[in-house]
Amino acid sequence: MTIKVRFFAYFREIFGAAEECRVLPEGTTVGRLLEALCDTPRRRAEIFAGGSLQPAVVVMKNKISIHSLQGLDTPIADGDTVAVFPFLGGG
Amino acid sequence: MSEISQYGYHGKILEVDLTRGRIEEKPLDPSLVAGYLGGRGLATRIFCDLVDPACDPLGPENVLVIATSPLIGTNAPTSCRAHMVFKSPLTGVLGTSNSGGTWGHAFKATGYDVLVVRGRAAEPVFLDIKPGCPAIVPAGRVWGKDAHETTEILTADAEPGRPFKVLCIGPAGENLVRIAAVVNDRNRVFGRSGPGAVFGSKNLKAVRVSGKEKTEIGDRDLYRSGLDQALYLMKQAPVTKRLLRELGTAGLVEMINLIGMLPHRNFQDSLHRDEDVSAVSGETLSRTLLTKAGSCYLCPIGCQRHTAIPGAGGISEEGEGPEYETIALMGPSCAIYDLEAVTRANYRANELGLDTISFGGTVACAMELVEKGLIRPEETDGLDVSFGGAGVLEELVRRTAYRRGFGDRLAEGSYRLAASCGHSEYSMSVKKLEIPGYDPRASYTQALGYMTSPSGACHLRGGYAVSLAFFGGTKEIPRYSLLQSPIAIRNMQNLGIIHDSLGVCRFTGYAFGADPWARMASGATGRDFSVTRLDEIANRIAALERLFNLEAGAGSEDDDLPLRFSETPIVVEGREHRVSGEDKDRMRRDYYRVRNWDAEGRPTRALCDALNLRRSGL
Repeated sequence: MTIKVRFFAYFREIFGAAEECRVLPEGTTVGRLLEALCDTPRRRAEIFAGGSLQPAVVVMKNKISIHSLQGLDTPIADGDTVAVFPFLGGG
Repeated sequence: MSEISQYGYHGKILEVDLTRGRIEEKPLDPSLVAGYLGGRGLATRIFCDLVDPACDPLGPENVLVIATSPLIGTNAPTSCRAHMVFKSPLTGVLGTSNSGGTWGHAFKATGYDVLVVRGRAAEPVFLDIKPGCPAIVPAGRVWGKDAHETTEILTADAEPGRPFKVLCIGPAGENLVRIAAVVNDRNRVFGRSGPGAVFGSKNLKAVRVSGKEKTEIGDRDLYRSGLDQALYLMKQAPVTKRLLRELGTAGLVEMINLIGMLPHRNFQDSLHRDEDVSAVSGETLSRTLLTKAGSCYLCPIGCQRHTAIPGAGGISEEGEGPEYETIALMGPSCAIYDLEAVTRANYRANELGLDTISFGGTVACAMELVEKGLIRPEETDGLDVSFGGAGVLEELVRRTAYRRGFGDRLAEGSYRLAASCGHSEYSMSVKKLEIPGYDPRASYTQALGYMTSPSGACHLRGGYAVSLAFFGGTKEIPRYSLLQSPIAIRNMQNLGIIHDSLGVCRFTGYAFGADPWARMASGATGRDFSVTRLDEIANRIAALERLFNLEAGAGSEDDDLPLRFSETPIVVEGREHRVSGEDKDRMRRDYYRVRNWDAEGRPTRALCDALNLRRSGL
């Protein structure tokens, strides 16, 4: 299956793209996708704190926060868009 | 030197009577600082003691109070923000506005803690404040000038090593535009609720300050412990460490769109094409218009955007901004995705002294009224005021500031504009203050913040709830929790009151809460400003603001949202959401309860007694 991954803020610099397409095996979860994306220690340190997401990282599948779904176990389907960004507050 | 003036405070209020042309120095009552801290709290208390809540906001009986805080003059991070309190000509309730830059620090260095301005001058004047010799000076040479020209003229004759800092209005304030702002440091703004018009109604053009008076610290060890922790935590949190410096608040544009909150077509929905949003994003701003980041005084965060856009004859025009709110309200909410057009209009707004949130909200309202045939083409001076019309933005800023043609109607704000067409329901405002760039249907907590903010719809005074549902990596405060929203927004509002009363920036809240501030405030002043005491003070200030608004005629029926948000759902996270009447009733009721206010939203007698407030008559 083919999905789109979108990065925002300084994640674009860290992951080297604003967006990319990924071909994944059926049944891939968000957690597995992130593991595959974090193929360097720096990338891993930005996204993960141990086995969990860093507190300030937001991951959304089709504009729904994964915490409203099944968290890192959220399944991904063909055509989905996963957005990954550091939480930015402001005003 | 009195006790109060030793640590944190100078112990002095400068009171100006423009009607009589008199300036008086008065002592700052120590009991006031114990109960109200500084900044917003102190300004609100002094204001409420002087003003009849029924006064005409544009009459001489209105009073402007500008207060600094005990941390200003120390090296506490972001400690530079002054707070202004007045009766708002836009809303008729409390106007409470805050600004960074350097002016607040410079005013504290004149040796005064608070400036009070009463009455009305017979001719335009500016205040010239230096230690021991404040003066009221004729302003003929700058009346009619924009904020940048005024600043350049009034700072030109400074002595070496003694720079002037200027707070002033532009033509918008002079023309009593209800959404006029007061501008300091050229591009920092006391934006909301129309303070510029209050200045203009007093014939007060500017306040120029210069001084070198020091702020003494009482307990250096205690102060230092808070400072060290604050600086450490600010270097750990991604928002304060790098995100705001790299993208500014404009970095919010993509994220707010992703979570379904970015307004579209005057909050008719929140649907945008991703490529359109990308065109006005912080990433695009950084890549195309940004020249450098900048900071307010003593701020390590660096969210300011110094930008440049192509101008006539190949010469670029430079300025600051736009911020997220400006982009959201003058851009996507008007269905405009032209970053240069928004930036150019933002430059004009800073020069002419207009609140970009209220201006954008009023223009979006006008566009919807045009769309629905309630404003006819012949009423808009030949300008096409339709959604998507980026080309008219800059000209509409000018016409609004000068009350020229259709701009005279925009100058009244969205509520009066829509009401003049017989359809006030098209004004997206609460208590007539235009809603900022976050759709309340995408967060019940934010909805409640708008409903209960003391100044009207404000994400700063009402509480910034956007972060609550996402920060921390879990569903800490779910966006649609009716149960948790009242306590969550009350806590957010109280932390905001503490920030505003200490003269520090909201953005520090992404790194830490009240504890480091408690240690810095207690250490700087030698007084008890523990976390518990700060929360008590915040509750006192919130209750006082509420009591003023009740006396000014705003009741629980005004703690509401425009009908659109109850009647028309938007799709968020795949489901339809609106803020129903029942939901609003429940959250309002529960908010009053957590505030210890009665069913009508009046602070209870028990609360007033505990906080030493008069329950009626202020």
